[in-house]
Amino acid sequence: MARTLLSRFAGIIALILVSASPAASATPDDFVRKISDKAFTSLGAADLSDADRVERFRVLLDEAFDLKRIGRFVLGVHWRRASDEQKTEFLSLFEKFIVQAYANRFRDLTDKKLVVMQARELTDKESLVISQIEIPGQQPVNVNWKVADMQGTFKIVDVTVEGVSMSVTQRDEFAAVIRQNGGQIDGLLNALRRKTAQ
Amino acid sequence: MFCCVVAATVLVAGCATPPPASDSAAVAAFQQDNDPYEPFNRAMLDFNLALDKAILKPVAFVYKEGVPDPLRTNVYNFLENLRSPVIFANDLLQGEMDRAGTTLLRFGMNTTVGLLGINDFATEAGIHKHDEDFGQTLAVWEVKPGPYLVLPIFGPSNPRDGVGLIVDTLIDPVTWLAPSEYRIGRAVTRAVDRRARRYDEINDLEKNSLDFYSTVKSLYRQRRLDEIRNGAPSAISPAPGRLSGSTGQDADDQQTQGNAADK
Repeated sequence: MARTLLSRFAGIIALILVSASPAASATPDDFVRKISDKAFTSLGAADLSDADRVERFRVLLDEAFDLKRIGRFVLGVHWRRASDEQKTEFLSLFEKFIVQAYANRFRDLTDKKLVVMQARELTDKESLVISQIEIPGQQPVNVNWKVADMQGTFKIVDVTVEGVSMSVTQRDEFAAVIRQNGGQIDGLLNALRRKTAQ
Repeated sequence: MFCCVVAATVLVAGCATPPPASDSAAVAAFQQDNDPYEPFNRAMLDFNLALDKAILKPVAFVYKEGVPDPLRTNVYNFLENLRSPVIFANDLLQGEMDRAGTTLLRFGMNTTVGLLGINDFATEAGIHKHDEDFGQTLAVWEVKPGPYLVLPIFGPSNPRDGVGLIVDTLIDPVTWLAPSEYRIGRAVTRAVDRRARRYDEINDLEKNSLDFYSTVKSLYRQRRLDEIRNGAPSAISPAPGRLSGSTGQDADDQQTQGNAADK
């Protein structure tokens, strides 16, 4: 009896401590909220030049995404076969490729709004943050963020839009390019070099 | 005439050559990809893209730029409302009674108060739209999708969804009640409307992909899976952490996803 009381008391204390600590705001959904606010204010302005938007996107991408882990995932089975030089070059080309492909999709977000709804724990180190983009006069777009907790700092490891995972799409495409080049990773590196040089 | 073109393409393009049985990793990747008709599919995609560039894309551009927004919304609402009987039938076939009720209510409201469906008052009243088709119903009945298939004009598909297209046409009262000029008109308007709404998206995709064919294939499969799950987020998606085991129907559908060779 005494033990139950004691543990209940301890539980209440813990609850007070947790809710009082400033770190309580550092949840995966708050993190996504913060990042998306940043994206909407810094990238979404209608009068921003494309070059400025690309630069700001690059900064935000490095801050919010674990690009190394995503890069490793998208290379799939080929990551282990790649030499260190190939890995380094791939990661740098991959970043350029992502910036080029996505930065200017953030053009003019002024009438759109991202609403973060909830976070769901996937494992003890990963959460899925569920959100919707609201566009006036249209069906809302479902966007889910897979967020990894790396010793207190959050990083996004995947974005899923209406069930389409950016990482899976990229992996499928890269795998096809490697296959068409007779299984050579250099074939993919060449294609990425050409694409990012445009 | 059209059938001849298709048949000839199949004969010329044929099937993809499977990798030699000795290379087990390559064989596994080949089966995982589930695209044995890739040469045919690529030819079909080129054919569809040529048709798109010559006809559909320019028409969609004029439609998008020339017709005012509210009018295009009316057209879209009208077309969507007409799909209600097919959605309703598939809701029922999937045993989704609540969703069937929603579809019926929306149809009732929009057809009457919404003036034959040109206004979507149901959505404004918070009764949201969902889509269903017989391909999805077959998936719910645990029919496997079969290999990837690019159909002429209709685009990315598979045998299951191809059968779905035919059955949906048969279920649709418009097929039986409306005169053929009307049916053709509806099909054309629908194609133009859809192409116009995806105009920028398709441009982006063409510009930014290394291999447009593979990207479209991946997008199609993932979108279908999401539609079959009715948009429920999938915790089993492997991307890009470690793999978690996938079970049941998802495992069959997720040909490109549940690759055990990831890490």
